[in-house]
Amino acid sequence: MSTIPALMLALLVLLTLVGGRAGLSNFLALLINMLVMIAAAVLMAGGFNPIGVAVVAGLAVLSAVIFLSTRDAAVAGTAFVSSLLVMALVLGVVVVSVTLSHTAGFGPEDAEELEGFSLYVGVSFQNILIATGLLSTLGAIAEAAVAVAAGMQELGPKVTRQARTRMAGAIIGTGLNTLFFGFFGGFAGLFVWFAQLKYPLWQVLNNQIFAGELIQVLFAVIAVTLTVPITMWVTLTRAKGGHN
Amino acid sequence: MWRKWRWLLPVVAFLAFFGGARLDARLYRQPIAQVTAVTATKPKAQTDNLGNRDHLTTQRVAARLLNTAHRGRRLTFTNVYSYSGAMDSRLVVGSQCFVSTTAGGGYQLQNRKRDGIVLALLGFALTLLVLVMRRRFVMSALSILANIALLALALHVELSSRDVSAWWLFAGLAVLFTAVTTVFVVGFNRQAAVAGVTTIGATAAGVGLGYLIFTLTGYRNLHLESVKYVTQAPQLLFYVQIIIGSLGAVFDECTDITAAVSELEAGGAARFRAGMAIGRNIMGPLIAVLFMIFIADTFTESVLWLRNGNAISQTVIWVMGLGFAQALVSAFGIVLAVPLTSGLAAWAAPKEVGA
Repeated sequence: MSTIPALMLALLVLLTLVGGRAGLSNFLALLINMLVMIAAAVLMAGGFNPIGVAVVAGLAVLSAVIFLSTRDAAVAGTAFVSSLLVMALVLGVVVVSVTLSHTAGFGPEDAEELEGFSLYVGVSFQNILIATGLLSTLGAIAEAAVAVAAGMQELGPKVTRQARTRMAGAIIGTGLNTLFFGFFGGFAGLFVWFAQLKYPLWQVLNNQIFAGELIQVLFAVIAVTLTVPITMWVTLTRAKGGHN
Repeated sequence: MWRKWRWLLPVVAFLAFFGGARLDARLYRQPIAQVTAVTATKPKAQTDNLGNRDHLTTQRVAARLLNTAHRGRRLTFTNVYSYSGAMDSRLVVGSQCFVSTTAGGGYQLQNRKRDGIVLALLGFALTLLVLVMRRRFVMSALSILANIALLALALHVELSSRDVSAWWLFAGLAVLFTAVTTVFVVGFNRQAAVAGVTTIGATAAGVGLGYLIFTLTGYRNLHLESVKYVTQAPQLLFYVQIIIGSLGAVFDECTDITAAVSELEAGGAARFRAGMAIGRNIMGPLIAVLFMIFIADTFTESVLWLRNGNAISQTVIWVMGLGFAQALVSAFGIVLAVPLTSGLAAWAAPKEVGA
């Protein structure tokens, strides 16, 4: 048996043991996300506009994560609407930053790995990087939106400003840790590499690969931070409109 | 008035940092030039042997040096960029870049200047965090700074001494990361001890289970040699990436469960059930957070592989495969943390509240 299917099988068993039916739907959400991401890569390579593909794939990912992991329909609805708003804002930030950063494609450190590849492939790597930036934030957006929507429901409609600020701090605080370690786990190799080459700080800051990865982390941080007040605003607006 | 307009502050910070960094060339020793005029040839069509069509444009660039002893000197060089832009980029009037001197006394483009956008986005994110988190931000920032310092220290030890085994160094680093983060975020009490111990326990159990499955299946169709930016011991670094990567998500979950369980007045069994219920609600989205981070990062390379005539299955296995494996093993830790934390929190808490 190949390793990845074996890992998936083990995860399915664990999720079912721990979560029962909720665990099963979590597994289903992960499966959908996997297929959506593979399809997105294939479509981008097939010549579709990467940003358009990312927006459509993003909608699928957000709905899979939010609706398959939340049983309460009001919480899921609020979280989904808020996520869409945040996604639109983050797309704006990503487009501006990627265009200004010139971090698309590959850096000089990748050269060895790219031997034998044709690089003039007729697909805009800048657009692919915009798609990457948007998609990598979506899990974090969905997670924060669900947490805030559920927390707001628990606190009730007469929640004070202090209680909301406290909740915002707690959710973003733990969210930052998840992102910090999540991304830095991925860069462990890069850090060792840079440390071995003894790059000075200014060179690291301007290095294509490092700047690109740091910008990626900042996109996710900005996304989570925007999600919290926007989800609170959506909850309060919906409560006023009588949808809750 | 202030309540509405303060949301523009992050944008102001962005512009201020971006503008400020355009003036910092004199802090650099390497020559930096600003483009003053560009003339471009007509795009030339180019087709590779796989039938990919692209366009190449050659730019004649006039620029002015912003630093070094020759500050103000005018220079010219050429720049070739393609539509796809895999390893090149288009220069426009106002672009700043690092240049180097050629043997003939001329100049050539070496690298783009990127400190402006990095600092601007950092300023944007920090201002936004302060606006939303208020005073809580101080603790989060301190915790992350402390972790960065730990990482720097570990890298220093790793490079300066050949005696320390890298595996134990990074395992120790993971434990230290957890301890520092717990103290900063939760405090120094029983609840923090439960969160810290279960974070380490669940991460270790998840990676242990992953290791077992990797070994039983003999790493079939998993290509550890494609771990990026590694010259030696890719297997070691692969595990290090999984451990550090899942630590934050597992910690997030463990603190949520312990905080909720410790507020309950009920007995042990009810506490355990409450912890499990909370854990079930958050484990799905947390798995998604890490999954999206690990997979989105592989897009650039996946598209390059696919356009170079590789089959979809081959691209998925070689390029996305490590990301999938990393996300799945992290998910083990996230799922295992639920019963582990609920159990330990239910067992540890009564003594505190019951007194």
